[in-house]
Amino acid sequence: MSRSTPITLSWLRAVLVVWRKELLDGLRDRRSLLSTLLFPLFGPLLSGMLFGFIADQQRGAADVAIPVAGAEHAPELVDWLEVQGSTIVDAPADPEAAVRAGEVPLVVVVPERFGEQLAKGEPIDLQLVVDGSRNDNHAAVGYVKKQLESYTKELAAMRLLARGVDPALMFPIKVREVEVASEHQLATSLFSFVPLFVLLATFVGGMQMAIDTTAGERERGSLEPLLLNPVPRSAIVVGKWLATVMFALVCVLLTLLCCVLVLEYSPVREFGVQLALGPAVLVGVVLVTVPMALLASALQMTVASFARSFKEAQTYISLLMFVPTVPAMISMMSGLGDSLAAAAIPVVGQQMLIEQAFGGEQPSVLAFLLAGGSATLGALACVALTSALFRRETIVFGR
Amino acid sequence: MIVAERLHRSFGQLVAVEEVSFEAHDGQITGLLGPNGAGKTTTLRMLYGLLRADRGRVTIDGVELGADLRAAQAKLGVLPDARGLYPRLTAREHVRYFGQLHGLQGDELELRIAALIERLDMQGIADRRTEGFSQGERMKVALARALVHGPNNVLLDEPTNGLDVMSTRAMRKLIRELRDEGRCVLFSSHIMQEVSALCDTIVIVARGRVVARGSSDALLEQAGCRDLEDAFVTLSGVASREELGGMPEPEVRP
Repeated sequence: MSRSTPITLSWLRAVLVVWRKELLDGLRDRRSLLSTLLFPLFGPLLSGMLFGFIADQQRGAADVAIPVAGAEHAPELVDWLEVQGSTIVDAPADPEAAVRAGEVPLVVVVPERFGEQLAKGEPIDLQLVVDGSRNDNHAAVGYVKKQLESYTKELAAMRLLARGVDPALMFPIKVREVEVASEHQLATSLFSFVPLFVLLATFVGGMQMAIDTTAGERERGSLEPLLLNPVPRSAIVVGKWLATVMFALVCVLLTLLCCVLVLEYSPVREFGVQLALGPAVLVGVVLVTVPMALLASALQMTVASFARSFKEAQTYISLLMFVPTVPAMISMMSGLGDSLAAAAIPVVGQQMLIEQAFGGEQPSVLAFLLAGGSATLGALACVALTSALFRRETIVFGR
Repeated sequence: MIVAERLHRSFGQLVAVEEVSFEAHDGQITGLLGPNGAGKTTTLRMLYGLLRADRGRVTIDGVELGADLRAAQAKLGVLPDARGLYPRLTAREHVRYFGQLHGLQGDELELRIAALIERLDMQGIADRRTEGFSQGERMKVALARALVHGPNNVLLDEPTNGLDVMSTRAMRKLIRELRDEGRCVLFSSHIMQEVSALCDTIVIVARGRVVARGSSDALLEQAGCRDLEDAFVTLSGVASREELGGMPEPEVRP
């Protein structure tokens, strides 16, 4: 051990040294890696499967076999349904019990006097046995109802024609929906989960790192030795922060990738919607997200520094995860609008911009700068606060 | 050389350190001896700049701590009270990290690390992650990272705490070697034998104050005792053996 003249590091070099060490440490931490790598897989893939499931049900509804009790009383109806492409099967002996048990989604019960009533032109009592508490039957029940209504309308129209009346008289008002939202906007409102996942990723990705490098460092008893090195506290905090941001950004990129794959390969296109997913849009989304990652990591480190222990920090930080969900909820329920004031609020601004980008709109440069600027300023304020905390004896020694 | 002048520190109502002054010279081992809670750790923390002194002054090799903390810290090698390691880094990576934070890099740093690993007999553990290290192994890593920049002043807070006999012997040998290299070594302990066996100068601290200082012979003479344990009890005034004998017996329930 030779003696050396003391050298003090430049601030930037100190940041680099701390950053490299925390990255190495974080990459070897299974817990950090898991939350960074698993979230992008879970969220989007799960929603992808969900959309696939919904699409399957809608597709499957038309193929459903319709159990009809007393089909022999209504050959006309059976023929008509078969012409529409449905398969008619025999109903179970006890229709109500079978539906309640979920053996069949529904049963059409034809009364004995069907033919007689039809001939006389009396109202016919057709029963549709369903179980409203079963969500998985909604599509099938809706389909059969629609078929029966069509048959009824057709019958009515024929009777009116037979009496020399124009069937159009039956429909004084005809309601037709006119969709004004562009296809992209429709897509965005359906898929506001994408911005939510991307924003959540900025929080999830660096979560473990933010805790491990602050509350964890103290709990381990390695904070005191670390602070003995002739390095400014701000350099130590910034190094740790930038390492946390790296994890958050990797999580964001993976989440985006998974969302794109899900939207490309899942049956969402069958809903007739399309998201703008070109490279320019993706680059734009990443640019919008970077300041958010800076802010999320900085905020998490500040909160974790206050906590007395690793566990306490975990509790606080899981609560922080609700922050990005609030604007997303508002957006799903009522829309966020596009005022510049809202754009300047961190998280809200990012949600708005990402929604616009995916919706194929070109967000205004001013909104982009406001959202990025406010998030970056917030991040710097949090870093300054954490550096100040690291200078406090009560924080360093955990009293 | 470390100079503490009239250090004072209180936590709320509690006065932890009051008017503590002493000098620790180069080429000497100075022991801070005192019972638990006497203020040894608080004093050391003020010496290495993690606790602010309410009053008083600390000078390390002529650099005043309050004026230039980082320059003073660069001259110190510290084994603090908390000596936690990063479980996912190897021993060598620990030493390298601290060396880099002291501004060392490249071949010079690697040579220093290699030399320390050999000196502290860490060849077998150098490239293993520290998770699962024994107390003795952990201590070696903490020492190596504290000494990597070749500090002239070495501060050790209860360095033999929790060590087995072999590790304690190795620690004593290291402390003597550091002294023989001309460094200023200051360590705290509550173990009499250790302090008397090692120290050139002993500073006895009790209730936050320095109650005596000098070589172990001088202290014996000052207290008028023949063994250092009696001298320590007399000088620290915690409670003389007679006082202890005169205290009421604790109640014993049948």
